[in-house]
Amino acid sequence: MNTFIPVENGDALDTVRRFLRKLMDDQVVDAVFCSLRTDGGKVYPSVVTDSSHLNQADPLTPVMTINGARAVSSLTRSGDQMRLAAVLRPCEIRGLLELVKLKQASLENTTIISVDCPGTYEAVEFYEFDERGKFGLSEFLQSASRLDGVGIEGLELREACQMCTQPVPEHTDIHLHLFGFDTSENIPVTASDKLKAALEFLGENEAKPEGISTDLQEMLAVRQENRQGKMAEIQAQIDSDGGFCDLFDTCIRCHNCMTVCPICYCKTCLFRTQAFDHPPEHYYGAARRKGALRMLPDTILFHLTRLNHMGLSCVSCGMCTSACPMDIPVGAIFTTIGSKVQAAFDYSPGLNIEEPIPLTTFKADEWTKIGES
Amino acid sequence: MTSTNGFEPRIVAFLCNWCTYTGADLAGTSRLQYPPNIRIIRTMCSGAVDPVYVLKPILEGVDGVLIGGCHPGDCHYQSGNYKARRRYVALREILKASGFEEERVWLRWISASEGQRFAETVTEIVSAIKELGPNPMRDKWAV
Repeated sequence: MNTFIPVENGDALDTVRRFLRKLMDDQVVDAVFCSLRTDGGKVYPSVVTDSSHLNQADPLTPVMTINGARAVSSLTRSGDQMRLAAVLRPCEIRGLLELVKLKQASLENTTIISVDCPGTYEAVEFYEFDERGKFGLSEFLQSASRLDGVGIEGLELREACQMCTQPVPEHTDIHLHLFGFDTSENIPVTASDKLKAALEFLGENEAKPEGISTDLQEMLAVRQENRQGKMAEIQAQIDSDGGFCDLFDTCIRCHNCMTVCPICYCKTCLFRTQAFDHPPEHYYGAARRKGALRMLPDTILFHLTRLNHMGLSCVSCGMCTSACPMDIPVGAIFTTIGSKVQAAFDYSPGLNIEEPIPLTTFKADEWTKIGES
Repeated sequence: MTSTNGFEPRIVAFLCNWCTYTGADLAGTSRLQYPPNIRIIRTMCSGAVDPVYVLKPILEGVDGVLIGGCHPGDCHYQSGNYKARRRYVALREILKASGFEEERVWLRWISASEGQRFAETVTEIVSAIKELGPNPMRDKWAV
């Protein structure tokens, strides 16, 4: 169903807050997962059970500190949970769908709310900028409405966002439109029909409100160009003499990329065990074979193994890049290689809940020549 | 046994307990000749061979890895070999995309009664890897 939320005093953020509060007060949901603005002015994903806290809700400020799919997994894993409304960005929804397929989250009592995503900024850079008193949400939202690609002047989007070609959320229950609409007057809403009764207070519009003239395709073309460019850059480094290993030259094996990855959920991960803590003679043995040994060893093994375990499900949210203390473009590397293996299995992660993750299923009559001759 | 410039490949083989390992055993008890370049590790199923076990020796400088399992449809655990096949496809794609030599990783279905096929497979792999040359990761210490 299509409807819209009227915006009072041109304040879109307050409108979204009132809307979320209404869903809780009307007992459509028992809890809301959403970014809250802390007293210190930072936004942090939180679960709200007392609707008065939604006065601090802030899903519009363009900062993404974690991929919310992990949090929704924690909140819905057991299945018989509270009715949760989860406000997620498009890449967080994609991550969540992969986790549902991996049986690490449930959509049964979950209402997914999403807003068109203009992109996000590195949290540290954004807060520095904001502390100088420069960030204006309404200007930012207007830039997003016009899709003029400006965003915040003087700040660059996170690398993953610059490369993102899926900024419009899929698989939502409530989609709040930003692209192409003047959100200082009203926020257009597309909602699934099961929420018809719950959203009755908004009234129903058959047609979406008339938007302002924009070109989403043009914006996507720019993003696609960024994506191809970055992937070509990574590919050139892989094809050079140093190859894949050199991409991770500065890796300190802190495992941050794995810790923040929405797909890497395994509690029994080999790299979290003592499996690679060897007695000293093992290291000397390995060093003697090659003349020297990188300490810590198994760095490349870690990244290649992770590619094998989650590359097919990589939703290109880029949290790994943001978390890397050495500024390695982990996300772009995983997107470059991940997209190839995804193509081999004709699989698009995070889009279709019915489509199983390739490594969790099989067909008897595929690749029948492999293993034979 | 012939060798190219004295290069004798080292090959690690993960063989499933129910088919290929038993096939290798049959090759032995049948006194079949095959090159001694292979180091066998018995696994319960080809589907139990996580990519990490293949990647570790490849990065350490082993020249080839063979995964051996039951023929499709014959898996002792119904579907382990089908899953191994998908993992193998993904692993090869990832190795290729990352600039590693995916030709060093092999998958073969060899049943418990195919001692001859096991011996022939090892011969074939050793000769193909000799053609390919030593694994460049042998000297690469910064992994």
